Amino acid sequence: MGVTCVSQMPVAEGKSVQQTVELLTRKLEMLGAEKQGTFCVDCETYHTAASTLGSQGQAGKLMYVMHNSEYPLSCFALFENGPCLIADTNFDVLMVKLKGFFQSAKASKIETRGPRYQYCDFLVKVGTVTMGPSARGISVEVEYGPCVVASDCWSLLLEFLQSFLGSHTPGAPPVFGNRHDAVYGPADTMIQYMELFNKIRKQQQVPVAGIR
Amino acid sequence: MADVLSVGVNLEAFSQAISAIQALRSSVSRVFDCLKDGMRNKETLEGREKAFIAHFQDNLHSVNRDLNELERLSNLVGKPSENHPLHNSGLLSLDPVQDKTPLYSQLLQAYKWSNKLQYHAGLASGLLNQQSLKRSANQMGVSAKRRPKAQPTTLVLPPQYVDDVISRIDRMFPEMSIHLSRPNGTSAMLLVTLGKVLKVIVVMRSLFIDRTIVKGYNENVYTEDGKLDIWSKSNYQVFQKVTDHATTALLHYQLPQMPDVVVRSFMTWLRSYIKLFQAPCQRCGKFLQDGLPPTWRDFRTLEAFHDTCRQ
Repeated sequence: MGVTCVSQMPVAEGKSVQQTVELLTRKLEMLGAEKQGTFCVDCETYHTAASTLGSQGQAGKLMYVMHNSEYPLSCFALFENGPCLIADTNFDVLMVKLKGFFQSAKASKIETRGPRYQYCDFLVKVGTVTMGPSARGISVEVEYGPCVVASDCWSLLLEFLQSFLGSHTPGAPPVFGNRHDAVYGPADTMIQYMELFNKIRKQQQVPVAGIR
Repeated sequence: MADVLSVGVNLEAFSQAISAIQALRSSVSRVFDCLKDGMRNKETLEGREKAFIAHFQDNLHSVNRDLNELERLSNLVGKPSENHPLHNSGLLSLDPVQDKTPLYSQLLQAYKWSNKLQYHAGLASGLLNQQSLKRSANQMGVSAKRRPKAQPTTLVLPPQYVDDVISRIDRMFPEMSIHLSRPNGTSAMLLVTLGKVLKVIVVMRSLFIDRTIVKGYNENVYTEDGKLDIWSKSNYQVFQKVTDHATTALLHYQLPQMPDVVVRSFMTWLRSYIKLFQAPCQRCGKFLQDGLPPTWRDFRTLEAFHDTCRQ
């Protein structure tokens, strides 16, 4: 597990999500990247049940339960700005039992799927973010395997991102600045995906046809 | 025939000398015949002795005469081949049909070539001995037999001394931690962890570094039974490249008289990899080239370069 940067790629003007993804993957293949299967990250939102809320009338916190195909045996549970719990996949069953405390938000499932590319020590995943039946945007994840400290290799990652994202290169993800010198872990990637999904949810829905 | 005589080969004298030798041989055999026959039957003993001595004397005279004749002729014949630098092979130059059998010119070429070869081989062996890649004397084979006393004592250093050197180096670099173990007898194995960048397995023999493997900070350096895994390489291309460079460094840093200095220089060089992902190439100014960061570190200046940017 290396340092990972997750960012959103805006849909190119006059193009569909699918076409923009194809454009990106073609660029990667030109660069010399090899396709290695597919990936999937999904996220489900849970509300804290009304009965458990305190008397001060505080708003219910949202909890996100996520899966990542890169860690097929794990399940991630996160609060916004809060702790991240990494559990076995059995955690999903536990959530059903905890209905009294956490209730699943209706039609809140959001996921990103797409091809996975390897270029030298870089792992690039270009995904189409879908919420229900509609495609909402494009996610680009770049992982640099050999390095474990985010601040060490950010300039290097930036140079790589620039090579195929051009002007759409993102800034440093907030998790990178959180703990200086800390070893980067899978939870940091999931936090980035959670933030990306939240950002996309808030965006107005763009109706795009031609998505499975 | 004139040119033949000019080089001192007197054929006439040769044939005369040969017949002189024959004459000498026959006169010598006549002497022995006379001795074998002994005294012939004569009337008186005195007459017998006189006749025998006279006969014997005659024979000896003729031997002497033939020998003198041969000596005279041999001076005429001379020693034709001795004054030529190539000795007898110099006679090949007498061959009149140069175009068909250019043996002589070929011979000269070969001679010059082999002379040059010997000269250059001598120079090369002198230079190579100065910069020997063999870092200990007991690998030298033939030359070690010739001077058995030249064996360095560095191969038989006490383990305590090795421990001291390593722990001193460990204290010298705070961002580098060195863990020493001896799983197989007296040879030490080091696990060097450099910041949060990489891990290096160093296999030592006394104070000589035999092998290094560079792996990522998050990679497993142990085998399933808990021993240091000194054989498998890193999964990441960047660390495979750094492993190659570290092996080059092993051969570069060597000073057979002071092995502790060698280990220290190697570790100082290795420490420059703390900025493996942070230092751009000093030549092209970029971080990535073909997907790899600058993996080369200059041996003297410790500056970062891409493998193809260094010169």
